[in-house]
Amino acid sequence: MAPKKDPKAPAKKAEPAPAPAPAPAPEPAPAPAAAPAIDLSSVKIEFSADQVDDYREAFGLFDRVGDNKVAYNQIADIMRALGQNPTNKEVSKLLGNPTPEDMANKRVEFEGFLPMFQTIINSPNKAQFEDYVEGLRVFDKEGNGTVMGAELRIVLSTLGEKMNETEIDALMAGQEDENGCINYEAFVKHIMSV
Amino acid sequence: MSHSGSAAPYISAIKAAVLIQRWYRQYVARTEMRRRYTWHIFQSIEYSGEQAQIKLYNFLGYLMDNFTPSSTERNLISHIFRENDVCWDSEWERYFCYKNIEVPEVYSGPHLTFPLTVEQAVGLLEAFRNKKQLHSRYVLQLLLETWKLLRMLPNINRISTCHSKEVTICGDLHGQLEDLLLIFYKNGTPSLEKPYVFNGDFVDRGKDSIEILLILFSFMLVYPRDVYLNRGNHEDHIINLRYGFTKEVLTKYKIHGKRILKLLQKIFSWLPLATIIDQKVLVLHGGISDTTDLSILTKVNRHNYVSALRPPKRRNHSSAGMSIDIEIDDDLWSTSKIYQRRASLTYPKPLGPRECFHNRSLQDFSTRIKANMENELENSKRREVILAATLHRSQQDILSVSTDSVSSDNAKDEWRQILDLLWSDPMNQDGCVPNEVRGGGCYWGPDVTEDFLNRHNMQLIIRSHECKQEGYEFCHNRKVLTLFSASNYYDVGSNRGAYVKLGPDLVPYVVQYQASSMTRELTARQSVGRTERSALKVLREQLFAHKSDLLCAFKKFDTKNTGLVCLIDWASAVESVMHLNLPWRMLRCQLVTCKTSDGMINYYDWFNELAIKGPNTDHIDQSLLETLYRHRSTLETIFRIVDTDNSGFISMEDFRQTWKLLSVYLKMEITDEDISNLAETIDSNHDGSIDIDEFMEAFRLTDKKSRLERGRSMFMHTTSDLTKLESDPNV
Repeated sequence: MAPKKDPKAPAKKAEPAPAPAPAPAPEPAPAPAAAPAIDLSSVKIEFSADQVDDYREAFGLFDRVGDNKVAYNQIADIMRALGQNPTNKEVSKLLGNPTPEDMANKRVEFEGFLPMFQTIINSPNKAQFEDYVEGLRVFDKEGNGTVMGAELRIVLSTLGEKMNETEIDALMAGQEDENGCINYEAFVKHIMSV
Repeated sequence: MSHSGSAAPYISAIKAAVLIQRWYRQYVARTEMRRRYTWHIFQSIEYSGEQAQIKLYNFLGYLMDNFTPSSTERNLISHIFRENDVCWDSEWERYFCYKNIEVPEVYSGPHLTFPLTVEQAVGLLEAFRNKKQLHSRYVLQLLLETWKLLRMLPNINRISTCHSKEVTICGDLHGQLEDLLLIFYKNGTPSLEKPYVFNGDFVDRGKDSIEILLILFSFMLVYPRDVYLNRGNHEDHIINLRYGFTKEVLTKYKIHGKRILKLLQKIFSWLPLATIIDQKVLVLHGGISDTTDLSILTKVNRHNYVSALRPPKRRNHSSAGMSIDIEIDDDLWSTSKIYQRRASLTYPKPLGPRECFHNRSLQDFSTRIKANMENELENSKRREVILAATLHRSQQDILSVSTDSVSSDNAKDEWRQILDLLWSDPMNQDGCVPNEVRGGGCYWGPDVTEDFLNRHNMQLIIRSHECKQEGYEFCHNRKVLTLFSASNYYDVGSNRGAYVKLGPDLVPYVVQYQASSMTRELTARQSVGRTERSALKVLREQLFAHKSDLLCAFKKFDTKNTGLVCLIDWASAVESVMHLNLPWRMLRCQLVTCKTSDGMINYYDWFNELAIKGPNTDHIDQSLLETLYRHRSTLETIFRIVDTDNSGFISMEDFRQTWKLLSVYLKMEITDEDISNLAETIDSNHDGSIDIDEFMEAFRLTDKKSRLERGRSMFMHTTSDLTKLESDPNV
């Protein structure tokens, strides 16, 4: 009869939850918080000419001002539009952990963007279908292939890189059955089918 | 160990959360990207259509000025330049005469008595909601009263939000009755407590343009001090020829349509140019330029500008009695080069000061015109009698058109001011450059706004003219507000509409909406997918229509004639032909589905993919077919111009002349044999006349279900069964 650890677990869960502050504040978890910004000049670009042209075109689509640059706060989206899915934190690190003002006002040109993108592509964090399913299985209390929609909402809005209500609503639109449950394999298939 | 045991599920929870969040954000970014380039496709094609219409008009103007009186072509088109057949006000009143028109007993629509009451105006709304049509007698009567009122209004209306009145301002409606009904439903109909300003572009593209006009006019008659209308660039008969309003009126009013259109020409010219609220907020349709001067605009004779595209005639005549507009036309834009505007996501680079912009040069047409003229002289004899009469009337027109003598410089200046007001667009860079994309007005920058507002002691410009996804958009440091009130403009779900409420604090309060319950049922992803497919379909048609030019461009890269080009070359070639400035690489996977080996594209296969097939066209030369398809809007416009009695039919002879015109315009050879072949195919009952609609249909030159055919915008196709979208992997 080992002493029950479970009652303590929820307490532990509640503790660090407030800690992940909005965007640039470094968090205690995976990466070293106070690490200096990555040295982008040392990143070797391994893209083909075709790829670079593709990326340049996409980059241009985000330039709303016409100065051939994009704002810091658009970088993450451009990378996502090009098929990667960095966390906001990873991007922030690449940009040297800028302040919110910097995020809105500072701009970077395409040549500056490329090494950042290369870094993200090189990073080993590539999630596959199974990873997502595994991730959701964590919340499958009954082990029956479903998670509670309500629980998922709480998790997504309080943990990690929090989502707001609108985002969560959009994500979960039409996914919950009449009991408020989500079959998560089907869910993952659905969300990955864009 | 136990510690990590209890922490493990927590860490995986975070990991899972982060995974989903990252994925979701990627999905949003990609959807946003698709939405942006889809938008860009529609907008590019829309603007290049406007440019094409202006070029066509300029071309016809050039012909007018260069053909000798004995030319057939001139006779065919001169009527659209003859803007005022009848000049004196009393004659106009007679022309409006509705009294002879009887309303049959079977007529089930509304009956109007004047002066109009609010109950009647509301009744009209209801009737239109129930798909009734107002009888032409009442239409003419209504137009007469409207004209009388408009004549008394100044060029710039000034209103105030005294006490607690809020003014409601609406943007482009473009014949979309559903949106107007929605606005009135949400916001209430116009009244003494609820003043409205409608900011132009009431007509064209949508299918209920005339109904919208009738509603706006009737409320204006009931509440003349509380309903204000500003003129838009589509309140212009030249534009209406191409964009559906002319056709709508002629279809709905078969007997009196022509007269109604003629009167509307006059009424459009009498629409005020702008509205100022509390002396601080300027409301106008297009925008401003660095030379916009309200004091000049207050004094112009706005009704002289029946079409904003046509500079005012000078009083200088040649010995042949034709007016010479060439000198003024020098200010019009060059047709020798096509400029493009970058995406609405990016903004054009300044091209240089306005003054040194090219003069128009159609010299490349001159040799063709000469050749044509020589041919025509042989056939012209039977036309001379008619022509003499025409000429006589032209002379009369010119002499009597305007009793106000205006020096040519002033006229040019005035005209440019009005053009700028109706056609300009804001840009993000400082400065002011010509708006070559649309072909009229300019692009103006934040510094121009700043300067203008300071000079006139104002704080905000509210304008329309550009479709915005959210129905509105601020720019220039929130000093310019673009307002667009036609939702689902490019396609179902493409954009919302918006209107603005302005109280005494003059802080704009925006209300958004989207007509059609269909759109609410679509998720964002389905909506984007649907619009995207629609845009791509249009784009593929455009590409197909340019097949010959594309082939040429590809061959330049494919010097060894392998039939293959690499991706970079493909994108360059396509852009060099299409001039749409689209992200071709990104679109490549959607446009080129034939398998490519090691990154090369087989362009012959690609053309096969794009090919559009039509019935009974095997004996027609393929390149001719392609030309017809590419220029179908222009072709239809020319038909409608040539069809002087607006009957929908043109004679075989005029049909041939149309082709000659078109061949000069396009600078390509269309032989007599080609024309005969075409004619035979269409004139199935061999009675010597050709039905325009039949012609366009015979070559699948109109998609019967397209908005243009139904009088709506040229982009939307029929709404397919939504349930089919569920399983569609592309959605």
